[in-house]
Amino acid sequence: MSLAAEAFVSQISAADPWPENATLYQPLGEDQILLSDCASSLAVQAYLRMCNLPVQVCCRPNAEYMSPSGKVPFVHVGNQVVSELGPIVQFTKAKGHSLSDGLDDIQRAEMKAYMELVNNMLLTAELYIQWCDYNTAAEISRPRYSSPYSWPLNHILAYQKQWEVRRKMTAIGWAGKSLEQVYEDVSQCCQALSQRLGTQPYFFNKQPTELDALVFGHLFTLLTTRLTSDELREKVKSYSNLLAFCRRIEQSYFEDSQAGSSSRGFSKGPSLF
Amino acid sequence: MGTVHARSMDPLPMHGRDMAVHPDDMIEVQETEQETKQEILENKDVVVQHVNIEGLGRTKEDLLGYEISEVFDAKNLIDVMKKSHIARQKLLRLGIFKEVEVVIDTSDGADALPNGLDVTFEVTEMKRLTGSYNTMVGNNEGSMVLGVKLPNVFGRAEKLTFQFSYGTKETSYGLSFFKPQPGNFERNVTLNLYKVTGQFPWSSLKETDRGISTEFNFPLLRTNHTLKWEGVWRELGCLARSASFAVREESGHTLKSALSHTMSIDTRNSAIFPKKGALLRINQELAGYTGGDASFLKEDFELQVNRRLVWDSVLSASLWGGCLFPIGGRPSSIADRFYLGGPTSVRGFGMYSIGPQSEGDYLGGEAYWAGGLHLYTPLPFRPGRGGFGDLFRTHFFLNAGNLCNLNYGEGPKAHLQKLVECIRWSYGAGIVLRLGNIARLELNYCIPMGVQSGDRICDGVQFGAGIRFL
Repeated sequence: MSLAAEAFVSQISAADPWPENATLYQPLGEDQILLSDCASSLAVQAYLRMCNLPVQVCCRPNAEYMSPSGKVPFVHVGNQVVSELGPIVQFTKAKGHSLSDGLDDIQRAEMKAYMELVNNMLLTAELYIQWCDYNTAAEISRPRYSSPYSWPLNHILAYQKQWEVRRKMTAIGWAGKSLEQVYEDVSQCCQALSQRLGTQPYFFNKQPTELDALVFGHLFTLLTTRLTSDELREKVKSYSNLLAFCRRIEQSYFEDSQAGSSSRGFSKGPSLF
Repeated sequence: MGTVHARSMDPLPMHGRDMAVHPDDMIEVQETEQETKQEILENKDVVVQHVNIEGLGRTKEDLLGYEISEVFDAKNLIDVMKKSHIARQKLLRLGIFKEVEVVIDTSDGADALPNGLDVTFEVTEMKRLTGSYNTMVGNNEGSMVLGVKLPNVFGRAEKLTFQFSYGTKETSYGLSFFKPQPGNFERNVTLNLYKVTGQFPWSSLKETDRGISTEFNFPLLRTNHTLKWEGVWRELGCLARSASFAVREESGHTLKSALSHTMSIDTRNSAIFPKKGALLRINQELAGYTGGDASFLKEDFELQVNRRLVWDSVLSASLWGGCLFPIGGRPSSIADRFYLGGPTSVRGFGMYSIGPQSEGDYLGGEAYWAGGLHLYTPLPFRPGRGGFGDLFRTHFFLNAGNLCNLNYGEGPKAHLQKLVECIRWSYGAGIVLRLGNIARLELNYCIPMGVQSGDRICDGVQFGAGIRFL
């Protein structure tokens, strides 16, 4: 199909309402998913819940390869497949669901800037810890990443992934950083977010936006995931307003719906409480 | 190429024979102006005293001993010529000589018998390393193919070939090592190491395989057998963003480790335009038993029978069939299932465009059969007879087949029922061109019948090439 035809199809399907059987795909929650993927998946789930769009979470060992961009999570809505938070936000907007419509241009620019900050600092730090910290890579990332595969493919794929991330780290100048420096970066990012949030319930006061979903996804995952050391968790925990923010979103968007329908797949992992 | 020279000899009683092989004997006997006697040689008893092979470089002598030893059994001149000719064919088949010439001469020297003959094979070895280079354009992709071949690496007809293709989109390579058993060329071992990439637009699927395989070929009575183990890392992906979700779900990496056995009997006189004879090939593959993610048992067969009719026309009937049984409760992979349809299988249908599909992407089936009936005739009025025209045939065909998935809870009767329901068939006529002795091109006018919903048809003119054909 040509690009024009593809665009045409996406235009046509954009008019369709959000279907009941929309599905979000992510790697196996128990044995396979890694910190960064878990955070991204949780951010998308939080966003869709904020938009009140129902989605079923489906775990597949090959989710990464099923995704059109090679990144998880992705949603399958009707006959469309969209991956990652940014394009999913665009996609829901085309269907008439948006959280940032109430913002003015300056606020929207600010939101985008903070989202970039989270992606550049928190996501990159997560990738760094997963694949560039020797202990984490050997004890957690490689065994989990390769768990669905049989020998010798498990080793090949895990090392291939590790090399790929390390190349990326070299390209963006993170390869020379020490673990302490990365923790410090995370801390600084949290500091900035904490200051921006202040005492408001959400980043742009009363209404949550995609920035809230993204921050929640990353911070909640950092707070609830067991790594080789607790240092990162303690760093995030020290920002009490961010901790309260995570609790607030968890309570308002995840707990009631979980009680309401158990059939709706939910894979947020452990709770903060 | 080869020439057989016979020179006169003195008819004298037989003596003991010298069985020694002197392949290294570099003395060429050239008695140009010998007194010629006219004799009738056919019935004369002769003794082959020496068989020499000249022009050997790195080839080991023991290998050739097996190939030429039969020449010593010849009892008369005609026999010597026949056996030398066979030996020459055997030497050429090894694939290590560019040229083999046979010189038959009277024995010479101190121990020469009056009716003794010396047979000399004058060989030219292939170069130690041959290479090829070509470029290919097609499929929205350009590529450069580099081939390196080392015939006779270790001097016993071992062959090492390496092919590397560097494309704008994909690179692929293959390294293969072939080793025949000395004196038994049909019994051989092949080791392969490869990476290949295939794009299958009918399934919107892209497949990259990296694998190693070991193959053991051997003849048994009148049949040929191949035992093979293959370990392959398969990476499947969508060819386009618009690929159906059923194909998308199959994306990712799998490891297949499979043992397979192929038995074939081929009594045909030619692989492409056979005039007589039959071919039966039965193949079975067991995957998963030796590791890997894919586990299944796959059986398939191919049968072709040819019969010559009047005016050089040939009636040919073929039947294919196969079944894939997934083992261990895991569904079969899109890469392992069977596909049917196309210009060299069930004609009149699109390439592999029969059977189960999802949003226009064909997913293949777990069981299939296909049958064909052809009447091949020479071109009308036979232009270019005995030359170029013999590369062509006209044919009239009737093809039929079916492909479906089987639910293995239903029992064998239900399966048979499923395969005879909704049969796709087609008929038509066309022209076939033989390409070497391995492939053929077909230009047909087809009328597809029994079309089921979802099948892609090619009503009218269809063009295609194939190595395997129904």
